[in-house]
Amino acid sequence: MRRVVVLVLVAFVLSFASATLVMAGSVLDEIKSSEKIICLVNPNSPGFSTPDSKGVFQGFNTDFCRMAGAAILGDAGKADIRGIGFSDSMKTLVARKAHMASRSITNTGTRDADPGLAFVVTTFYDGQGFMVANDLGVKSATELNGATVCAEEGSTTLLNIADWFGNRKMTYKVENIGDKTARLQAFYAGKCDVLASDYTALLSDRQLAPNPAGYSILPEIISNEPLTLVAQPDQDLEAILFWGFQVMLTAEKYGITSQNVDSIVKDLSNQPKSVKRLLGEKSAVGDMAEKLQIPSGWAYNIIKQVGNYGEVFERHLGENTAFKLERKGTPNDLSSRGGLMYAYPIR
Amino acid sequence: MNTDKPHTVMPPKPSFSVTNWARINLFSNFFNSVVTISVVLFLLWIVPAVFSWMFINAVGFGGDEALCRSAEGACWPFMREKARLILFGTYPYDEQWRAALASLIVIGLVAILMLKRLSVRMMILLWVGGGALFVGLMLGNVMGLPAVQTVQWNGLPVFLLLAVFSLAAAFPLGVVLALARFQNQHLLLRSLATGYIELIRGVPLLTVLFMGLFILPMIMPQGFFIEPLFAILIALMLFHAAYIAEDIRGGLQVLPRGQFEAADSLGLKYRYQVLLVILPQALKKALPAIFNTLIGGYKDTSLVVIVGIHDMLSTAKMAYSDPGWQKYGLEAYFFVGLWYFISCWCLSAYGRRLERAV
Repeated sequence: MRRVVVLVLVAFVLSFASATLVMAGSVLDEIKSSEKIICLVNPNSPGFSTPDSKGVFQGFNTDFCRMAGAAILGDAGKADIRGIGFSDSMKTLVARKAHMASRSITNTGTRDADPGLAFVVTTFYDGQGFMVANDLGVKSATELNGATVCAEEGSTTLLNIADWFGNRKMTYKVENIGDKTARLQAFYAGKCDVLASDYTALLSDRQLAPNPAGYSILPEIISNEPLTLVAQPDQDLEAILFWGFQVMLTAEKYGITSQNVDSIVKDLSNQPKSVKRLLGEKSAVGDMAEKLQIPSGWAYNIIKQVGNYGEVFERHLGENTAFKLERKGTPNDLSSRGGLMYAYPIR
Repeated sequence: MNTDKPHTVMPPKPSFSVTNWARINLFSNFFNSVVTISVVLFLLWIVPAVFSWMFINAVGFGGDEALCRSAEGACWPFMREKARLILFGTYPYDEQWRAALASLIVIGLVAILMLKRLSVRMMILLWVGGGALFVGLMLGNVMGLPAVQTVQWNGLPVFLLLAVFSLAAAFPLGVVLALARFQNQHLLLRSLATGYIELIRGVPLLTVLFMGLFILPMIMPQGFFIEPLFAILIALMLFHAAYIAEDIRGGLQVLPRGQFEAADSLGLKYRYQVLLVILPQALKKALPAIFNTLIGGYKDTSLVVIVGIHDMLSTAKMAYSDPGWQKYGLEAYFFVGLWYFISCWCLSAYGRRLERAV
């Protein structure tokens, strides 16, 4: 009897202390041999990454995890997407226990200077904004002199507000509420005139209003928040993530979508040179695949399985979603339409 | 001579009537009447409101989200759609039977321990065996089960693991701490136990959780890596043990001196004095306090969301964060509240039964 107890105890302790695997070789080799790319996302950020009814993360940010899966392993489904808190996700990356993070991380100088993290490419340009009730009759943030602002305690939001109002010699009062639900309740109950937060956060917050149509977001964006993909430092992995994103931008630029990519490939001989370079057999993407040691059809895989940048944007944040985020004329539009999304040449 | 037995006359039995009963129990004086009327008015307001929210104005399980948008009551299709997410979170969908089975094992284990009287040895075997089975099922990588990382464990199984196992493991530790603090033969042992208990009771649970997350991995031997989930399990156990120790010490203190002296005079060794004479009586006295700690600790487990572990309260939030279902937080929390109510009620019912039995 005693021996059984001891045996079971030992088994129990062993199952607790799972020793870590020592990774050998490059990050890319590790991804290929394990047949999965571990990608960290925010466990609950509506529109960007939230588990669906089957517990699978869905959203704008998760699609860049899937992009990496499609490019490196030929299957977007091989992205092993894990929801994890912000500071934990940074630690996990630095400890080399994950390959990448796609979780709305603002690229700042001091963060990028950290040797354990590689900031690769900005997938979304966000910034801090203001939301007001339409009844207030305010059309611009410059009319907010003397307003009461609801904002999160201890965030950079408050610093940005102080800068912005201070520079314009405007007065304001802050209603400092740490808990998000309490903050929204205070705002929708009319305790403050203005709710300040990141633009995209305001969009999803507006969906939680009793009458979303009664609120609007003012046009002024008072800070720069380039939300960037982060990878474990590895030259090949960084190149794949960077160019995978360029494929998504280029595809949008040439009107190639997940829907029409097959018919375009069938009819490739009649396509312009730029499209041939993106989808052809002996093409720029083929050369890149050889050098990076990834499947030759990686660009096709990304477009077919994930879609172009515009598709991803519309799917999770666009007009037909709860967020109704307008893209036209914002920094997230293609550069040809006045945005900052500038497709690098794939050749 | 009067040979009749003296017969006693009983006071007349008051005939039972509702008005009489109500007068005595509900309207005995002005203050009681006010209380009765306020309670009745409150019930008249709340019961129909809840009833119509749950049933009359609600959309049944067969409906869909479009129907919910125009309904005033509960949206039960939300629960049909999201129940598995709330229960098992991001545990891989096809493997969720494992999470369900693991949860059932823990619930079954607790049920057996509540309903059957078992020897201490049998209990230890059940706990350790059940724990190993739980971890094996959840973690996988054995018997052909695919591995599932602990970051993907969410919802009910994680809650049960943390709440049930931490409290179960805290109990023996609490007994040892209480005994160490109560005696005065070994002063060093006593001051260590006192110091430990006062330290843990002197800091909030959150501090202990952060300690588990950040300090515990640092003091692990080189080459060992402890998963945050298990670090938090250990932190919770260390925390609860201090409170249970004080509950048991309360029981030890009310035991008359004579009990210790009687055990001594029987020539029993310390071990048997404690096991056969002292503890059974002390635990009996400490039962209400212990159950207080157990139920409190059980509910405090949901604080782990602060350290990035998602129990059912957190998966409920995930469920109504889905852009298509953002308006149904009340339904999600209703479900979680129901779980807490039923499980806590079972716990305190067990506590009451145990008090009667011993």
